[in-house]
Amino acid sequence: MAPELRVVGKPLPRVDAYGKVTGKTVYAADFTLPGMLFGKVLRGTEPHARIVRIDARRALTLPGVRAVISAADVADVRYGGALKDETVFAREKVRYVGQPVAAVAAATSEAAEAALAAIDVVYDPLPAVFDVEGALAPGAPLVHEAWETYSAIPILYREGNICNRARILAGDVERGLAEADRVFEHRFTTRMVHQGYTEPRAAVAAWDSAGQVTVWSNTQLPFEVQNTLAEILQLPPSRIRILVPGIGGGFGGKLRVGVEHFAALLARKTGRPVRVITTSEEELTAAYPRQGTIVELKTGVTRDGRLTGKQGRIFFDTGAFAGSGPGVASVATLILAGPYCIPNLHLEGYAVYTNKTNCGSFRAPSGPQANFAVESQMDIIADALGMDPLDLRLRNIVREGDEGPTGQLLTGVGLEECLRRAADAIGWNDRRPGPSRGKGIACGWWTTTGGSSGVYVKINPDGTVALNTGAAEIGTGALTGAAQVLAEQLSVELSDINLVSADTYSTPFDFGAQGSRTAFSVGNACRAAAADLRRQLFALASRQLGVEPDALELRERHVVAGGKRVSLADLSRLSQQSGGGLIAHGTFIAPPTPYDTKRVEAHVYPAFHSPSFHAHAVDLAVDPETGEVTLHRYVVAQDVGFALNPTYVEGQIEGGVAQGVGQALSEEIVYENGRVVNPNLTDYKMPTTLDLPRIESILVQHPSAVGPYGAKGVGEPPNIEPPAAVANAVAAAIGVRITSLPITAEKIVMALRKETP
Amino acid sequence: MSFEYHEPPSVSEAVALAARFGSEARFLAGGTDLIVQINRGKLAPRHVVSLHRVPGLDTIAVDGHVTLGALVTHRALERSPHFQGRYRGLVEGAQVVGGHQVRNVGTVGGNIVNASPAADVVPVLLALDAAVTCLGPEGERTLPLEEFLVGPGQTQRRPEELLTTVRFPLLGPNSATAFLKAGRRKAMEISVVCVAARMTLDAGLERCREARIALGAVAPTTLRARAAEHVLEGEVPRAELLRRAGALAARACQPISDVRASSQFRRLLVETLVPRVLARCLERIREEGR
Ligand SMILES: Cc1cc2nc3c(=O)[nH]c(=O)nc-3n(C[C@H](O)[C@H](O)[C@H](O)COP(=O)(O)OP(=O)(O)OC[C@H]3O[C@@H](n4cnc5c(N)ncnc54)[C@H](O)[C@@H]3O)c2cc1C
Repeated sequence: MAPELRVVGKPLPRVDAYGKVTGKTVYAADFTLPGMLFGKVLRGTEPHARIVRIDARRALTLPGVRAVISAADVADVRYGGALKDETVFAREKVRYVGQPVAAVAAATSEAAEAALAAIDVVYDPLPAVFDVEGALAPGAPLVHEAWETYSAIPILYREGNICNRARILAGDVERGLAEADRVFEHRFTTRMVHQGYTEPRAAVAAWDSAGQVTVWSNTQLPFEVQNTLAEILQLPPSRIRILVPGIGGGFGGKLRVGVEHFAALLARKTGRPVRVITTSEEELTAAYPRQGTIVELKTGVTRDGRLTGKQGRIFFDTGAFAGSGPGVASVATLILAGPYCIPNLHLEGYAVYTNKTNCGSFRAPSGPQANFAVESQMDIIADALGMDPLDLRLRNIVREGDEGPTGQLLTGVGLEECLRRAADAIGWNDRRPGPSRGKGIACGWWTTTGGSSGVYVKINPDGTVALNTGAAEIGTGALTGAAQVLAEQLSVELSDINLVSADTYSTPFDFGAQGSRTAFSVGNACRAAAADLRRQLFALASRQLGVEPDALELRERHVVAGGKRVSLADLSRLSQQSGGGLIAHGTFIAPPTPYDTKRVEAHVYPAFHSPSFHAHAVDLAVDPETGEVTLHRYVVAQDVGFALNPTYVEGQIEGGVAQGVGQALSEEIVYENGRVVNPNLTDYKMPTTLDLPRIESILVQHPSAVGPYGAKGVGEPPNIEPPAAVANAVAAAIGVRITSLPITAEKIVMALRKETP
Repeated sequence: MSFEYHEPPSVSEAVALAARFGSEARFLAGGTDLIVQINRGKLAPRHVVSLHRVPGLDTIAVDGHVTLGALVTHRALERSPHFQGRYRGLVEGAQVVGGHQVRNVGTVGGNIVNASPAADVVPVLLALDAAVTCLGPEGERTLPLEEFLVGPGQTQRRPEELLTTVRFPLLGPNSATAFLKAGRRKAMEISVVCVAARMTLDAGLERCREARIALGAVAPTTLRARAAEHVLEGEVPRAELLRRAGALAARACQPISDVRASSQFRRLLVETLVPRVLARCLERIREEGR
């Protein structure tokens, strides 16, 4: 019989709670150093233009201004993820409004701003492309005329403004559609949205006399930023130290180098520490938002509701640089398939360059856009067939032992339970409880991202435990989850664990706070370290107690054998006297998920690891005259495998839904001719507490074979289904379907009047 | 951003400072408009004259008239026991300004002088026939609020004048006010359209004696919809008539299209919200009559 769990699975307060609720935690934006200068970035004002001249002479004469740098001052390197197409500053050309052209360091931020205004840049405008259709039109201007010369991972399919086209090809889609009784074709669109983290991107950089640079940054991926800075600064990574203080939210927007490079370059030039923090305007015009998309779906279905084939294409407007585009376009194809058994698939994800800001990763990249299309269409199909949308889903969903779209074997599949429980909770039997009131449901699946994690775990002479991890706590509570795993395994309390994290000098490598992986991977690395420590402890205790190691067990901070016991504190002291202390290096890398390699092309992410499954249900009312939507109830049933800490799992669900409702109803970065017309938090509309009902979470637990105690990644999934669930509920309420996000009051009213805005 | 900051201890000294610096100075009340505009580089006053230490401007007096000091906050309006009945529209306007933090410091005077066409309290004041009083070095002058408002961000106020009070007549029996707002979210929202109304019925609660309808965010200034008012006055305000008033109000406005909404949608909202806000007034009057 499994021993009873003491720490994992319990709603314990998080390890970073006290510092955060008392305001003591130092965030990157709070961080200061003596003599620090303020850095600011001059950003391009044309969507596409040749830079004729940059003249900073006037700026350099202004009081307090210490340095101005531009492309000429930095090494001519291109960096990036799957595709290296980015430069620190625009070289010869600007490719979007907001692209960095120069940066200044000055004694005050006012002086730095004055300097920006005093830099003269002359542009010679070029024809630009503002959307996917424009970028793919024959003869369209190329965003990168030299795209072929850029280095990229070899599997990408690239062509002109297409920086990747990923495919899933399964079965024979022609046959699948021919077998169908009905074929449904729809087109959906979504808009660019921002992660909306509270703390802007911030970094402070300082060089020491040995020529090493330290950067305090609120990045989610310190090791990735270290490597990118190594390329930009042309230094070995060991000369670059990244430290992550508190992070005020990231949601994928702080994965890639943001302002760290500007701080490091300006600090090198001036010999002084330099801080760079973005403004709201910079965030909304030049960050790494979620791509806007166009989705086309052609789905075949039998009269009794069996899906026979699906052809789908999703186009990501990835902006002027690839950013996360090639990978996101790949992941999207798995979402386009949906959590359904469809024998014949032809699915494509395109990442397309345009003259807009460089898009990136946002909590479940591609998930909400593709799921909005897929799950909206499922409801349309159900209506057309006269079926209940829940029944149509139940007829087609994946179950234990089924195959995923690329042939992976699915296990730990809790989707049916999620759907049924969400439907029950929302009262699905009464889908239209009143005039202009309706309920909607949507389901989906998601991955637990791989990548490796290492931890050092040390038992201190007072019996407490130091957990040293390269991962950063971005506010999800993930490291509390990992610490709970460690405490459980070592038979100590959560309060015994001291956390040291995210310092590229001293902490072991971690793939970073991304992809719903932190608690999962770091938790597993903790398990490995605990196993090693147990061996060390038992070896020492065996000598101490005169008992064979396999008769020993860990209990309540002690090694115990029958009536004999010795504390971890004593063993730690003993080890310090005799063997250098108790320390272990635990590592983890998720095992590869086998899939059918013949089914994919140019695919960066062909299978979902330890997939999670989820269903969302919403009950809302629409005012048919004003278009105002009021959410009454929102239920999430999420298969989390095992909830390491139910409180923070629910927290993730609540936050993810709030963010998703924003994308569903109100958020969009609006571009007109290559310029953002709402670059402020007055007109970029994130939902407030008054816009949201209490979010009800149902934790479904079908364990993953790999995750710690069966856990699956939980952070990203709750962000996926809200747009689809809301769209379906709106359609149920008013009988009109909105196929573009956000579903604004205006669109609703205009659609009801059979007009287009 | 840099300016000289002044904290005069009295109305007269505030006016004296404003007179000295003219258009280079701005008064600071709650700062919820001014500071945002300075931060966004839309305004760059050399002198900021804070009203925080000026006494006597934050009172609500009800005698023959209702007199609001310019520094009365939205929170104070919301909470005032005077406004829970016939003046309910004032509470409804005040309680949707921004969020709690904004309402705790933002003032009625600031809402008026900022002269945003989307201001939420201004339409209610217009519907109440409010007048504003300004004090300058030459003395006091009082003018109707409607006249005071000239365009977006523009008023009749001279740079050296301090807005001291807003005043409106007491409402008699069989009167009520109401306010409605449409936006993309339910708080922290600039009105896409807002409407305020006041209605007075005859003693028999049958015919409309007097109607006021004011519209926000659909013209360069907050706007009275006179044609819509006239169609109501002297008539029995049945649903059909309220709808006609809505249509007339929609015709009276000249909304722009911007990132918040198209002009067409704004017009539709006016057409919808005007009958609703009037119906609310009627409900209130009938409730009070019962
Ligand atoms: C987040 C946020 C949300 C908001 N939401 C809303 C909303 O929903 N609805 C709405 O209507 N408004 C809203 N506003 C705008 C603002 O809060 C209101 O207009 C408020 O009433 C302004 O008052 P204040 O005291 O802060 O004005 P201030 O910013 O102090 O002043 C505004 C202007 O009036 C001048 N001024 C102020 N008092 C006087 C005086 N006595 N005499 C002469 N000149 C004076 C100032 O010089 C300045 O030009 C919002 C603002 C913010 C920041």
